[in-house]
Amino acid sequence: MTAPSQTAKEAYFTASQRQLIWARFKKQRAAMVAATVLVVLILSGLFAPFLSPYDPTVAGRDKDYLNGAPQVPKFCDKNGCSLRPFLHTVTRERSLATNFRWVEKVNEDERRYVQFFVQGDSYKLFGFIPGNIHLFGMDQGYVHLFGTDSAGKDIFSRTLHAVWTSLQVGTLGVLISFVLALAIGGIAGYYGGMIDSVIQMVTDAVRTIPSIPLFMAIAAFIPPEWSAETRFFVITLILGLVGWPTLARRVRTHLLTERNQEYVLAAQLCGASPSHIIRRHLLPSFTSYIIVDLVISFPYVVLSETALSFIGLGLKDPVNSLGVMLQNVTKADVLLNYQWYFIPVLFFIALVMAFVFVGDGLRDAADPYSESRK
Amino acid sequence: MLHFARFAATRAVMALVTLVIVSLIVFSLMELVPGDCAERYLAYKNTQGSAITLADIAAERARLGLDQPFLTRWTSWLAGAFRGDFGDSCILRVDIAQLLGDKFWISLWICLGALFLAYMIAIPVGIISAASRNPYLNNSLRVVSYLGLAMPNFLLALMVMLVSTVYFGETLTGLFSPEYKEAPWSVDRVLDLLKHAWLPVFILGWSATAFALQTVRALMSDEIGKLYVTAAAARGLYGRRLLWRYPARHALGPIVNSLGFDLNRIFNELPIVALILTLTEAGSLLLEALARSNDQQLAGAIIFLLTASIVTLNFATDILLAVIDPRVRKSILR
Repeated sequence: MTAPSQTAKEAYFTASQRQLIWARFKKQRAAMVAATVLVVLILSGLFAPFLSPYDPTVAGRDKDYLNGAPQVPKFCDKNGCSLRPFLHTVTRERSLATNFRWVEKVNEDERRYVQFFVQGDSYKLFGFIPGNIHLFGMDQGYVHLFGTDSAGKDIFSRTLHAVWTSLQVGTLGVLISFVLALAIGGIAGYYGGMIDSVIQMVTDAVRTIPSIPLFMAIAAFIPPEWSAETRFFVITLILGLVGWPTLARRVRTHLLTERNQEYVLAAQLCGASPSHIIRRHLLPSFTSYIIVDLVISFPYVVLSETALSFIGLGLKDPVNSLGVMLQNVTKADVLLNYQWYFIPVLFFIALVMAFVFVGDGLRDAADPYSESRK
Repeated sequence: MLHFARFAATRAVMALVTLVIVSLIVFSLMELVPGDCAERYLAYKNTQGSAITLADIAAERARLGLDQPFLTRWTSWLAGAFRGDFGDSCILRVDIAQLLGDKFWISLWICLGALFLAYMIAIPVGIISAASRNPYLNNSLRVVSYLGLAMPNFLLALMVMLVSTVYFGETLTGLFSPEYKEAPWSVDRVLDLLKHAWLPVFILGWSATAFALQTVRALMSDEIGKLYVTAAAARGLYGRRLLWRYPARHALGPIVNSLGFDLNRIFNELPIVALILTLTEAGSLLLEALARSNDQQLAGAIIFLLTASIVTLNFATDILLAVIDPRVRKSILR
C-alpha cells in the first residue's frame, strides 16, 4: 500500500458524518447541478427586491403597457451596434382602426438604454433593510423581460418575489409539520404499545383523507376580509397542520427499528443511560434521515400552496405566488394571446425539480450502505 | 378457510374504524365553519326580500336538528353516511345523494382509470429499467419520472390547454358533448364520455405514473440483487422468464399495498384538474361547494365519499394480497 492511499484511507476513517455525506454527495453530478440551481434560485428569491427592476404589486405597474409582450434588450439594430443593450420605444394604439385591439408600433430610430444600479421603487430587503437601488432599469420608460399582466405588473419582478414567497411558505409549512411529526411520531415510537396503536390509528385515518380537498375545506373557512399577511400565515399553518402524518409515521418507524438495533443494546450493556443513548446514538442515526425527509417534503408544500392559490382559496394579491399569478390563465384570451403568463411556471418546475434531485442525492449520500451496494 | 374469514372480518372492522375516525374529523371541520345551515338558508331568503328574525333562525335550526348536542348530530350523520344519505345541501337545498349521484361514480372511474394507466406503464418500464444497466435509459427515465413529480397535474393540464388552443385552436374541455350532457345513460352517452375522458385520465395518470415508476423500480432493484435470483440465474433461467417468475412476484406485494395511497394522490389532483378542464363531476362540485358558497354539508359528504373509496380500496388490496401471496396467506392460516 502506498503512502497517499494510506492517508486517504486515514481521512476516510476519521471523517465525521457530515464530511462523509458531503463527499458522497459531491460525486453525484445530477444532485450537484440541482444544488447549484437551488442555491441560485434561493439567492434570487432572497434578493428579489434588488434583482427585480420594479415593485411587484400595483405600485410598480406600467399603466401604458398592459398585457405587454416580453421585451428582450438587444445590442444591434439596423442603425448599428452598441455595447450597452437597448430597447426601441414602442407606441401602442387601440382604436377603431385597429379593431379595438392593442397594436404595437416599434419606433426603430429611438433607442432606450439599459442602465445598471438605478434608483427605483423603494423596498425593504429581508423585510427590514430599506433601499431603492435596483440591479437594472431603463434610462426612460420600462423594461419587461417577461412581459406584463393585465394590470401592467412586471411578470419578471413578480416571478422573483413569488419564488421567495414559495420558499417562505415551504420552510414554514415544513417546520410546522416537522415539529408536529417529531412530537407525535416520537411519542408513538418511544412509548410503543397501546399509545402507539391509538396514535397509529388516528395517523392512518388522517393519512387516508385526500389532503388537497382537506386543505380546500379548511382554507374555505378563512374569512375573505382578512389581510393578505394574515392569510399568508394561516395558509402556511394549515399546510403544516395537514402535512404531518407521513413524516410522523417515518419518525415512529425509524425510532422503533433503531431502538432494537444491536448497537443500542451494546450501549445499554455498557451501562449507558437512556439519555446518553438517545443523544449519542439514536439522534445521530436519525438526523440525516430527517433532513432528507424535510427536503423531500418541501416541494409538496410549495405545490399545495400553488394549487390552493390557483383555485382562489390560498394567497391573494398583493402577496405574489405562482398560484396567484396563474389565477386567470385558463381564459381563452390568455391562452391565445398572452402566453408569456406561463413563463413563471418554468421557474417553479426548476425549483421543485431542484428540490427533488437534491433530496434524492442527499438520501443516497446519507445512506452509509449506498457505496457497498454499488 | 375459517382463518381467512376471520382475517377478512378483522380487516373490515379496521376499515370501519378508520371511516368512523375520518367521519369525526370531517364532521368537526364542518362544524368549524362560521355560521350554520340555518343561518345560511335564511340569509338566502333574506336576499329574496322576506324579512327574517332570530326566532326564524331558531325554528329553522330546530327543523334541521341543529339544536341537538354535537355527539347526537355526529352519530346521526354517520348513520346516514353509511346508508349513502347525507341530508340536504345547505345552499342548493337539494338532496346531496341525488346531486352527487352519477358525478361521484364518474370521477371514481376516471381516477381508477388513471391508476390503471399508471401501473400499465409503470410495471413493465420499471422492471426493464431496474434490470437494465444502460445508464442512458436509466437517467432519462429518472428525469421523466422526476418531471412527473415536479410538474403537478394542474400545470400539465394548463400546458395541454395552452398547446391545444394555440396549435389546434380547440379547447379540450368538458366530459360530454353538449347533446349528451343531460341525456339519460345509453351506449352512445358512454361512448361520448369515453371520447372525452381520455384527457383527464391521462393528465391524472401522469404524476401517478411517475410515482408508480419509482416504486416499481426501487422494489425491483432491491429484489434483483437477492440471492434467490442469482440461484435461479445459475440454474439457467434468464431474461424475461427470470424477471417475471422470481423478483417481479416478490415485488408485487408492496405494489398492491400502495394502491390505496396512489388513489389518494390522484384524488388530490382531481378538483383542480377538473377546474381547468371544466369537467362536471364530483371534484368540481367540491370546488364549487367550498370556493363559492361554503356549503359545508356538500363538502363534508364529498370528502367522506372520497376517503371511503380509498378505505374500500385498501381493504380490497389487503384481501387480494392474502389471496395472491402465499406468504401472507400462510401467516394468516397459522
